[in-house]
Amino acid sequence: MKIANLEQLKEIKARGLRLTYPDKIKVMVGMATCGISAGADKVYAALTQRIAELGLDVVLAKTGCIGFCQREPLVDVIYPKQVRLTYQAMTSETAVALVDALKEGRIYESQSLCRIDQEDFLVEGVVRPYANPHPPELPPEFPRYEDLPFFSKQVKISLRNCGFINPESIEEYIARGGYQALCKAVVEMTPEAVIDQVKASGLRGRGGAGFPTGLKWEFCRNAPGELKYVICNADEGDPGAFMDRGILEGDPHAVIEGMAIGAYAMGAKEGYVYCRAEYPLAIDHLKTAISQAEGLGLLGEKIFGSDFSFKLKIREGAGAFVCGEETALIASIEGRVGEPRPRPPFPAQSGLWGKPTTINNVKTWSHIAPIVARGADWYASFGSGNSKGTTVFSLVGKVNNSGLVEVPLGITLREMIYDLGGGIIGDRAIKAVQTGGPSGGCIPEEYLDTPVDYDSLAALGSIMGSGGMIVMDEKDCMVNVAKYFLDFTRDESCGKCTPCREGTLRLMEMLEAITEGRGQEGDIDRLIKMSELIKKTSLCGLGATAPNPVLTTIKYFRDEYEAHIRDHKCPAKVCKPLITFSILEDKCNGCQLCRLRCPVEAVVGTKKEPHQIIQEKCIKCGACFDGCKFDAVVVD
Amino acid sequence: MPEEAARARTAYAEVTDADVVSGIINTYRDEPGNLLPVMLDINRHFNWLPRPALEHISDELKIPLTEILRVASFYNAFSLTPRGKNIINVCLGTGCFVKGSPRLLERLERKLGIKHGETTEDMEFTLEVVRCIGCCALAPAIRVGEATYGRVNPDQVSKIIDSYIETASL
Repeated sequence: MKIANLEQLKEIKARGLRLTYPDKIKVMVGMATCGISAGADKVYAALTQRIAELGLDVVLAKTGCIGFCQREPLVDVIYPKQVRLTYQAMTSETAVALVDALKEGRIYESQSLCRIDQEDFLVEGVVRPYANPHPPELPPEFPRYEDLPFFSKQVKISLRNCGFINPESIEEYIARGGYQALCKAVVEMTPEAVIDQVKASGLRGRGGAGFPTGLKWEFCRNAPGELKYVICNADEGDPGAFMDRGILEGDPHAVIEGMAIGAYAMGAKEGYVYCRAEYPLAIDHLKTAISQAEGLGLLGEKIFGSDFSFKLKIREGAGAFVCGEETALIASIEGRVGEPRPRPPFPAQSGLWGKPTTINNVKTWSHIAPIVARGADWYASFGSGNSKGTTVFSLVGKVNNSGLVEVPLGITLREMIYDLGGGIIGDRAIKAVQTGGPSGGCIPEEYLDTPVDYDSLAALGSIMGSGGMIVMDEKDCMVNVAKYFLDFTRDESCGKCTPCREGTLRLMEMLEAITEGRGQEGDIDRLIKMSELIKKTSLCGLGATAPNPVLTTIKYFRDEYEAHIRDHKCPAKVCKPLITFSILEDKCNGCQLCRLRCPVEAVVGTKKEPHQIIQEKCIKCGACFDGCKFDAVVVD
Repeated sequence: MPEEAARARTAYAEVTDADVVSGIINTYRDEPGNLLPVMLDINRHFNWLPRPALEHISDELKIPLTEILRVASFYNAFSLTPRGKNIINVCLGTGCFVKGSPRLLERLERKLGIKHGETTEDMEFTLEVVRCIGCCALAPAIRVGEATYGRVNPDQVSKIIDSYIETASL
C-alpha cells in the first residue's frame, strides 16, 4: 500500500503500536554491533531456544542500542500495561533463568539495570505511560530509568527511538510519530517555510564544523539548476566515535525522514547515503529501511499525494578517512579516488556531478523531523548561546559508564565525565579528555568545567567535532597520544597537497624520535612551527586540523614532552624504549606466573625463589606486570 | 577493438570467475559512478582484487586500468594481493588504543608469526588493523571475518584465534 495522506499514516501507526506494545509479554534484546560483540547474539539464541522449550507465549524481538553499551548485552521485558524492565550483562545462562522466571510468573530480579515506567513520543510531544494510573511496586533493585545518572541528564532527540523500536520495522518507527513531520512538511508547508524553521532552530552541522544547517539549505535551494542532490555523510571516520553507527543501526528511518524533508525543502529529487563499509549492520538496516519506505510510498514518486518525488540510494565507502571531507566524499560517490578539491565552488553551487548538493551528517539529518514536527522554538529551548539543541557523544576510554549519550549543548565536560560517565575507572586521576578525533585536541583536567559547545571547545584549541569523547587517565602518555593521531593522519592523508602529505610525516618522525628517547632540545619549537605551517597551507580540513592533537598536548602537557626529551623518561610509563620492567626481590614469592606468561622467556627463576627479568630479552609487552598478583613486577 | 582487448586479458584462475565478475558488473552497469560498488563486490567475493577482474572491469566499463589501479591502491578496503580465509581486524580506534589494543596486535603478530598487513603461509589468516569499528564502549575490540569481539584481553585473543584454527581443521 502507498500512504497518500495523514489518515493512512495513522492506520499504519495503529498497526505499529500493536507491534511495539503487544498484548502479551515482550522480550527485547539490544542487537546493535556493540550488543552483538558483547554476546547479544548468544543471548538471543538462548532466549529463542528456552522460550520454544517451555512453549512460552511471549514476543521475542530485537532492538537497537539504548546507549548504555558498557552494560551490554541488554535485555528488556515489557509487561503489557505495567512496566518495562531492563536487564544488564546478560549471558546465555541468565537468559534461560529469565525465561524460567517468566514461565513461573515471577519477576526475575538478578541482572537488573532499571525500570522504565513511561516513554517519550518525542516527535508528537506526548508521554506514554506503561501503567495507568499506577506503576507496579517493584523491589529497589529496579531504579527508575530517569534516576540513573547515565540517563538523567540526557535529552534524546537524535536517539529518540534507539533501543525502543525494532529498527527493521517501519511500522514501529511510525508508531512513535515517524513520518508525521514529512507529511506536515510536504502537505502543509512551503519549502521556504521548512528552511525558515531549520534556520530558526539554530541547528548547526553535527559533523564537526558547525555550519548553520538552515543557511546551507538556503544556499542550495537558491542555487540555479533543476537537478539537485542531498547526501548523508555516514563515513564516520573519527576513531573513537560511533554515534552514526548507533543511529543508523537503531533508527535508520530517522535519517531517511530527515533527508526526505531536506530534499523537499531544497528541491532535490535524489539523495545518497554514503556509509563506511566498516559498518555492515548499519548498511543492512538502511537497505531494509529504504525498501520499506519505498513500499509505503514514503520514498519514490508523489510522496503524500504531492508533486514531490525523492529517490534515495546507498553508497558504501571503501575505507578512506579523507572521504568524510565533503568534496572528497563527492569524488568517491562519482567513482573516483576520494581526493578533496579547493572550495569555492562549494557543493551548494557545484557538488555531485556538478549539481547543487547539500551534505549533512547523520546526526544533523536525524534532528530534522523533530524540528519540523515540534517547531524551531521547541528545539532552540535546548542548548545555549550559539549552540542550540542536543548532540550525541560517544563517551569512551577510561570512564566507568561508556556508551552513547545525547546531551543539550552547554553541559560541562565534568558533568559528562563524572555524572553520566560515573567517573574514572579504578578512581584513578583523569589526565585529559580528547574531543574532535584526529582534528581535535586533548583538554586537561583544569578545564573540565568548560561547557561543551562549538565556541568554548574551539577556544581551548580543540573542536567539538562529530562527537567522539575519549577520556584518558594518568596511565596515558600524551606524547604517545599525539603520535597515535599523527600516525593516523599521516596514514590517511590523501597525498594531494604537500603540506599535509609531507608535514604530517615530519611531525610523526619527530614524535617517534621523542618517544624513543632520541628527542633533542628545540624539538618542541620545531613541532609548533611545523604545525602552524601545516594548518595555514593545507588544502582541506584534514591537513588544516591534523596538527591540533600535537599543539594541544604541547600547550597543556609540555612537561611530558620535556621529560621525554631531557630526561629520557616517560612519566606515564608507556613509551617502551624509555621504560624497564623489573621484579622486586622482597615481594616476589616465586609463583612462576610471570615466567609462564612471558612470551619470550625473558623471566627466569625457580619455583618459590624470587624471579628476574633478563633485560636484553625483554620486549616490554607488560604480560608479567599484568599477571603478577603480588605487585612484585614494577615498571620504571 | 574490444574483442581484441578481451583476448589479451590475463586468464582467471577459475573459468567460473569470469561469470561472477560479469554478474557484478551487470548489477551496476547503468549506475553513474559505479566503479567503487563494482570493485567492493569483487573484493568481497575474492577477498582481494585479482588482476584479471581489474582488466575485465576496465574492458567492460571503459575505464583505463591505471585509473582502476589508482582507486584500488587509494582505498584501504581493497587488496591487490590474495588474503587469507579469515581476515582479522584489530581495531586501533582511539577508544581501543587507550584500552590496550596495540598489545592485542603485538600478541597476534607473535602468535601468527606475521606483521599486520600480511597473510600466513597456509592462507588461513590475514592480519589487518582497522581505524575504528565503532565498538568503542566495548574496547578493545577485534573482528574476525564478520564476527566482532568486545572487551578482549591478550590472553583471550589467542583463544579466539585458536577457535578458528580448530574450526578449520575439522
